[in-house]
Amino acid sequence: MHVVTAIVKPFKLDEVKTALREFGVLGLTVSEVQGYGRQGGKSETFRGSEYTTDFVAKVRVDVLVDDGQADRVFEVIAGAARTGKIGDGKVWATPVDRVMRVRTGELGPDAL
Amino acid sequence: MLLAAKAIGVGSIGAAIWFFTFMFESAAGAAPAQAATKAADVINPLNTVWVLVAAFLVFFMQAGFMALEAGFARSRESVNVMMECIFDTCLCGVLYFIVGFAFEFGVGNGLIGHSFFFLHHDTADYNGTGVAFFAFVLFQFAFADTASTITSGAMVGRTSFKGDILYSLAVSGFIYPLTCHWIWGPGGWLGNTMGWFSGLVPDGVVFRDFAGSTAVHTVGGMLALAGAVALGPRLGRKFARDGGGPMPPHDVNIAAIGAVLLWFGWYGFNPGSTLSAMDWEGIGRVAINTTIAASAGGLVAVFFVYPRSKKWDVGISINGFLGGLVAITAPCYWVNPGAALIIGAAAGVVVPLATDLIEHLRIDDPVGAVPVHLACGIWGTLSIGLFASGDFGIPTATGADNTAPVEGLFYGGGAAQLVAQVIGSVTCMVAVAALGFGVMFAIRRIPGSFNLRIAEEHELSGIDEYLHGLPAYHMELGSGASYSAYTGASSVDGTVPAVRSEGEKV
Repeated sequence: MHVVTAIVKPFKLDEVKTALREFGVLGLTVSEVQGYGRQGGKSETFRGSEYTTDFVAKVRVDVLVDDGQADRVFEVIAGAARTGKIGDGKVWATPVDRVMRVRTGELGPDAL
Repeated sequence: MLLAAKAIGVGSIGAAIWFFTFMFESAAGAAPAQAATKAADVINPLNTVWVLVAAFLVFFMQAGFMALEAGFARSRESVNVMMECIFDTCLCGVLYFIVGFAFEFGVGNGLIGHSFFFLHHDTADYNGTGVAFFAFVLFQFAFADTASTITSGAMVGRTSFKGDILYSLAVSGFIYPLTCHWIWGPGGWLGNTMGWFSGLVPDGVVFRDFAGSTAVHTVGGMLALAGAVALGPRLGRKFARDGGGPMPPHDVNIAAIGAVLLWFGWYGFNPGSTLSAMDWEGIGRVAINTTIAASAGGLVAVFFVYPRSKKWDVGISINGFLGGLVAITAPCYWVNPGAALIIGAAAGVVVPLATDLIEHLRIDDPVGAVPVHLACGIWGTLSIGLFASGDFGIPTATGADNTAPVEGLFYGGGAAQLVAQVIGSVTCMVAVAALGFGVMFAIRRIPGSFNLRIAEEHELSGIDEYLHGLPAYHMELGSGASYSAYTGASSVDGTVPAVRSEGEKV
């Protein structure tokens, strides 16, 4: 099993969610995060002055998937989140040792 | 030592006694001059002070609108709400000085006024009202500003700022003053002769709109509808019949406070419209009618929606009492408190039904400006023709003039007044719809950044950050200083910050 983590533009979240649901992913977790990549933050203006903020608002999506699905989920997320412009984010996968569904106590892929 | 302190204490008490005696003596010395003032000499000052107090209250409704609209909006568009309301207020202030007041309250013909441009005038008071000319102007400016803000409420979240400037010029500079002149202006055809329609009503029966259910609210609501239809819904807005619903408000608390501020401001809007402190009975009647209608509207709307959702809905309670306030705005002077209760209660049903209707028509109205201001404005205007008690005429500078009372259908006055109300409501709606839809759709067709609607990519990434350069709320990390560097980039030296902007092509 893997957890696929994606950092995407906030306004792309609806498309990512729809694409994952259509692919058959049954659940996901999202969180508001801030960070920077190559774009190095962004500029804002206040009272006529321009400032740089180091951190840009992004959305983080975490999806637990079975081993065979990780590569496809990668493509689904990246395809839905891509705009082709700077700040599109990252997707990565991390191996997961064990998973339990809290309600039933099921373990492993059954718990997904 | 102790003795010295006591001596100082006794001495200072003595000094204080002397000081107060001195003060009272001088006050008493001034009294005979006061008493000599003739009562008649204070009528104009009293009326002016009353109208100014009311004008300040009406102006404060801007704060209510800003909080209400921003609270009902999503957080990504709330800076835009603030900015539009402030900018429109400033724009309206300047326009009103140049042409707005002249078109609206200038002496002219039945259709439009054409004197008092740049507020040039010869008399100390306005048109025999006993109210200082400039005080009258300020009161009416606050009204005009209200109408322009109502319009923006239905257009939240997708209106370009340049487009906002263009339509605001048309609304504040011409459309609102035009129909107001018909109703309230000197020689205006609806308020004086009924113009082409004079054959349909008996002599002496004219269109009545005490504080602006039609002049302000129906007009503002119709313009709001035109804007919302020309713009189309916000991206991602799904309607009830498509399995969606209204986008959730980002701050119900600030919206509720804003709505109560509006209610407070309405105490200037309606009672102030007597334009006369001397009609003290009228002021009291208008104030209590306003309160009762608002209360009834809020209660009925909540109970009307409860069976549907099984929740005590704060959003509908807000729009319900606002609907009650809009409805009582036209009839507040001519009805009794019992009738005010019925008028407000009916508005509490009109609001949820009209909300359902525009949802069904797939019109995205983020704050409910159309149900509250257009629908209840129509209802309030017509209600005079039903509920006017036949006891009250018009307020004048020296007191109430009840020689020609307004009487509605339910009080034995026949249908004449109702006919006049229908004529006024319909003609104003037709005229404003023609002008409003024309202006909004014309701006919607302008290519480039002056189009009424913001570009799709900027709407998606957030209208606040694109148009105004910052979001309303930062997620503050660490010390809270999310601004880590001052780039100093400005229009002076034109330096470009060493940061590539979000969404830039690589």
